[in-house]
Amino acid sequence: MKKIDLKGLDLCCYTETLSNGLDIIFVPFLDKANYFISYATRFGSEVTTFIPDGEKKPRKVPDGIAHFLEHKMFEQESGEDPFAYFSKSGTGANASTTYNSTQYICYGTKNFLDNLRYLIQYVNAPYYTDSNVEKEKGIIAEELKMYADLPDVQLESRLRKNIYHIHPRRVDIGGTVEEINKITKEDLYLCYNNFYSPNNMFLLVVGNFNMDEAMRVIHEELDHRENLVKSEIVPIKEKKSVCKKEDSFEGNIQVPKIGVGLKIAISDLGEYDDLELDLYLTMLTTMLFGSSSSFRERVRSDKLLNNFYTDWDNTERYKTFIILASTNQPGQLIKEIKKEISNHDLDEDMFQRMKKVWIANEVKMADYIDSTVNNIYDDMIRYHKVIPNKVDIIRNMNMEVLQEIVSSIDFDNLSVVTMLPQEEIL
Amino acid sequence: MEYIKKDLGSYRLHLIKTKKFKTITVRVAFRSPVVKEEITIRNVLCDMFLQSSRKYPSKRDLTIEAQELYAADIQTYNSRLGNYNNLDIYLSVLHDRYTEDGNFKKSLDFLNQIIFHPDVYAQKFSAEKLDVVKNTMRSNLSSIKEDGGNYSLLRLFETMDKNRVSSYRMVGYLDDLEKVTPESLYQYYQKMIRSDLVDIFVIGDIDFKEITALIRQKIPIKTVKRQRVPYLLEDVRPRARRLFARESIDTTQSKLAIGCRAYGLSDYERNYALTLYNIILGGSGDSKLFQEIRESYSLCYVINSVPNKLDRLILIRAGIDKENYTKTLELIDKILLDMRKGKFSDEDIRIAKEYFCTALDEVLDSPNRIIDNYYMMELLGTDTIEEKRRKIMNVCKDDIIKVAKKVKMDTVFLLEGDGNEEN
Repeated sequence: MKKIDLKGLDLCCYTETLSNGLDIIFVPFLDKANYFISYATRFGSEVTTFIPDGEKKPRKVPDGIAHFLEHKMFEQESGEDPFAYFSKSGTGANASTTYNSTQYICYGTKNFLDNLRYLIQYVNAPYYTDSNVEKEKGIIAEELKMYADLPDVQLESRLRKNIYHIHPRRVDIGGTVEEINKITKEDLYLCYNNFYSPNNMFLLVVGNFNMDEAMRVIHEELDHRENLVKSEIVPIKEKKSVCKKEDSFEGNIQVPKIGVGLKIAISDLGEYDDLELDLYLTMLTTMLFGSSSSFRERVRSDKLLNNFYTDWDNTERYKTFIILASTNQPGQLIKEIKKEISNHDLDEDMFQRMKKVWIANEVKMADYIDSTVNNIYDDMIRYHKVIPNKVDIIRNMNMEVLQEIVSSIDFDNLSVVTMLPQEEIL
Repeated sequence: MEYIKKDLGSYRLHLIKTKKFKTITVRVAFRSPVVKEEITIRNVLCDMFLQSSRKYPSKRDLTIEAQELYAADIQTYNSRLGNYNNLDIYLSVLHDRYTEDGNFKKSLDFLNQIIFHPDVYAQKFSAEKLDVVKNTMRSNLSSIKEDGGNYSLLRLFETMDKNRVSSYRMVGYLDDLEKVTPESLYQYYQKMIRSDLVDIFVIGDIDFKEITALIRQKIPIKTVKRQRVPYLLEDVRPRARRLFARESIDTTQSKLAIGCRAYGLSDYERNYALTLYNIILGGSGDSKLFQEIRESYSLCYVINSVPNKLDRLILIRAGIDKENYTKTLELIDKILLDMRKGKFSDEDIRIAKEYFCTALDEVLDSPNRIIDNYYMMELLGTDTIEEKRRKIMNVCKDDIIKVAKKVKMDTVFLLEGDGNEEN
């Protein structure tokens, strides 16, 4: 295995790529009790149109299939429930699907080797039947309804529909009740065979465990595994513009909410390393809208703000900054946000302070197994590798590069949505 | 890990020395018996601590100072612990070896500013800052139904015991919010600093002597108080006939919230047998409720049970389609009955014990959970982690059946979604 020091974090990481392309990443924490294993594929809800191996034409699978498949992974031919297997040793287990990945995890303090082996085995053994697929539809429909009832989810869904013209990120990760009802066992096998291949997956183990023994199990369980098929994901021809610049709708809420999306085409920004670009863009929005920004102080004292949330949505060709907020004066808050975006004044002191904060946070996160897992997982999904020198990269960031990137952003490419309380029906 | 406790008269100082973490965490816990009319003002105060102080006149100034201390994390929480209202002020900061000499000391100065030098002039908190906090809180209180899951629990508790402490809304009340003034808030602040019981915890790679001197200097609380009210709520007999209640809401999914009373339990039963009982009933992905109602009948996505030991309750919650209400309730009843009849295996018990022990192991990986554990030992006289590990292993099937017979479904609340599919 290759040893990589995670500089400045008192941690090191070991990596190896098996001959079939599967990446293995170990981060030992010998002073902790816990271990955490994640077996993941770069297959998420946004992959819905692809040309399967051996076929010529693209196929569209129902929306929400990645998440449906994740649920169905827990169905085994032996009838054994993976949750039950893990609980025998008091081990927790779960799975989650994002727009661009799916992971299966287990975490605990006991029975490490057996659990590692079992996690690999069950994810490698799909078992879909007409009846077990039908049974899941009821459960997932309840899950979708639970989320769809939340006003914050309604707001974000609406904003995504207005940002993207055709990109699958218009649709929630779980899909819709109508779409998931179309899913068949053949669809599931098709997706599994195309995207649960070693060269599209990785295995991440963090915490207290013996690396040699873990590697032995991994070789036994995974060396023989061949790449199933080679499929081609159809590129999404998403336009640069936002789909809808302004929109408003009513919901079952008392206090209005707003959503703002700034859609940036990566091709506009010049040649940068993807990680570097992400860091600078996040720096930009932290300086404009972060907790110590003058914007936040201003809107807070003007009582324009109740809750405020920001995030970046990263797709292959676009980076979109998203703001979700609740406010009693939606019009005024939108005006302030637009003003801040179009002025984008950047202050050097704040830039230096934020670098210090980010470095300190990297060090703090290295105390926790779960934060370390999330950190490395995100890097593996977004950059396809472990970033050993993130602290140095942050330390070397400079204002000139930030200014340069900022100068090529089209700050007018905004989508704004307002969610208002329903009129009382008398 | 080395632990010492010092009674400094006006508070107890708990010091935990360990090299496991890169941070030093300090928690100052204030508590007093919960008074319904004071919940809201205490929430306001909890937020005001982090809005500004004399030295840092705006939230931005305060945030910048925390960032300059290498991203010192400072937070305040107000919650209920049985019959008490507990306000934690928490500071977590990197050890000087990862920052610079004197950074931790400066962080304690910062904590001192926040707790003891609030934004008060002429016996009044800043009216302007108070207005901002009230405004946000008003909005949050008026949007309380947006999270149907939590709202159904609030309503369940209110239905179950109108006047018991467990029915109080810890998020606060709009009426009480409007009554808070800059003057009344300052009076409440003074009362809290003077008369609340206080425990202080410090965990990290620390020197006991040095840290004691520092804390004495930076946290100058002088008054001596005594505890009068017990932490646990009084034991209440379950209703002879169940209480059913429902309310409509404009969502597609309905939320079922069930309150069960755990009546007449000994400390041992409550701390150990009840814990195992709950894990088997609905505390894991492998529990009876989950396996039966979700996996066998596909009636829901979420279903679980949670014990609330200080309130002597077990809560069962599920998100369902309203058509499935009767069916779900029948199944839950059947599972509760099965538990009473001992229809669970030795393997179920062994697994529940494993879960419990893993959770104990995990406590040691988090500074906050270690503090929680010592805090509960202090307040409730609970056992150490090692004792817990030993005692849980001794719980037998009969112990769990005995507890199962003392757990009774008391109140059923349905938050009924009457929205249509399009919404």
